[in-house]
Amino acid sequence: MSDFLPYALALWNGFTVTFLVSASAILGSLAVGTFVAVVVTSGTGLPKILGRAYIELFRNIPFLVLIFFFFFGLPELGIFINAFWTGALALSLAVGAYVADAVRSGISSVDRGVYAASITYGLSHAQRLRYVILPLAFRVSLRPLGSIFINLILTTSLLSTITLNELTNSAKIIASTTFKPFEVYFVLLVLYSVLTYTCSLIVQTYHHRLTRHL
Amino acid sequence: MYGENTFSHYDVLLWLTGLKATLSMFFLSSILGCLLGTVFGLIRYYRIAVLAPIVFSLGEVLKNSPVIVQLFLIYFGVPMYFDVILTPFEAAAIVLSANTTAFIAVICVASLESVDKGQVATARSFAMKETDILVHVLFPQALVVAAPLVVGILVNQIQVTSLISIIGVIDLTQVGHILNQRTFEPFIVWPVIGITYFVLSGTISYMGTRVEKKFRIPE
Repeated sequence: MSDFLPYALALWNGFTVTFLVSASAILGSLAVGTFVAVVVTSGTGLPKILGRAYIELFRNIPFLVLIFFFFFGLPELGIFINAFWTGALALSLAVGAYVADAVRSGISSVDRGVYAASITYGLSHAQRLRYVILPLAFRVSLRPLGSIFINLILTTSLLSTITLNELTNSAKIIASTTFKPFEVYFVLLVLYSVLTYTCSLIVQTYHHRLTRHL
Repeated sequence: MYGENTFSHYDVLLWLTGLKATLSMFFLSSILGCLLGTVFGLIRYYRIAVLAPIVFSLGEVLKNSPVIVQLFLIYFGVPMYFDVILTPFEAAAIVLSANTTAFIAVICVASLESVDKGQVATARSFAMKETDILVHVLFPQALVVAAPLVVGILVNQIQVTSLISIIGVIDLTQVGHILNQRTFEPFIVWPVIGITYFVLSGTISYMGTRVEKKFRIPE
């Protein structure tokens, strides 16, 4: 049993890192994605083109390539941040593109009449977005967002390639010291399932709360 | 300072090697995944005893765990318990095909179930054979629903192939890594690799949309 304890502790540390990086990236991608979705749906000219280019580019380049670009590129620019924040930043930008697409389709599902009514009430553009459009849009986008975030949690495993000691990396170290890859990676599958199921549970509860009047 | 640390003509060959590995992995895993996915989807659709729950739970495990973990599990785990040595490419092919299979099976079940149940009942009352119902009633209508979803999976698949670099297959991402380590020019290497992937997935989504339009019901 005492042989088992240090490994359990190492896995627990990895688990917390994975949890923290997922949580920061979920918040980051939500912020980036919502901003880009608003720009793409209500902006004109250059901002709109840039927003579209961002979505297309970040959706079609593998995350592994992006993360290497950030990890090796940022120090070149004189920006030195650790693997955790590089990972959180890269994930926020990459997943932000998917979030932007989901929120954009949510915004376009908002009834034109509601939009017209909010203009008639004399709300400013920011007020319209904050109080009318986005709440209605999020109700539609929540489910797609849920599957995007579950994907995000699974994608954090790629941060092991840039030396972040999260769940996958801890497990890799344990597997190579104990020579028991099957057992270790099986525990890993369970731990990732815990995270993804928690995420989908939260999304379902929230979705239930948002649609309780319907 | 030793060795050559600038770009050379041979780097184009290296890039081509990576492109070949990425593309062959893409085609291999997509074709195997589509075929097996359809078979597994049919097993689940017809609720075949014993097999259907196994297929379902296997699919859930594959969809709820990171692909890297699956790669490590097969690449390092299988040779420890069975008397086989897998090359990185073989291990990657197994994992990615299994992964695609899981997603295609879900699409297959969903699109078969989207066909009106009444039609199947009608076909049965006309004494059509089950295989005829499948080929002439279910498949043509299910394809309309499935085509855009499958195209989405395939566009994503080219990005998933980048993960095989982690277990040592020299694909495009690995080539990028090698060049980056040698030249220390991340701002040249990674954009080139990124654009290559962008063009590949753009081509697939363009061709996919064209194929998908053929299946669409004319309005």
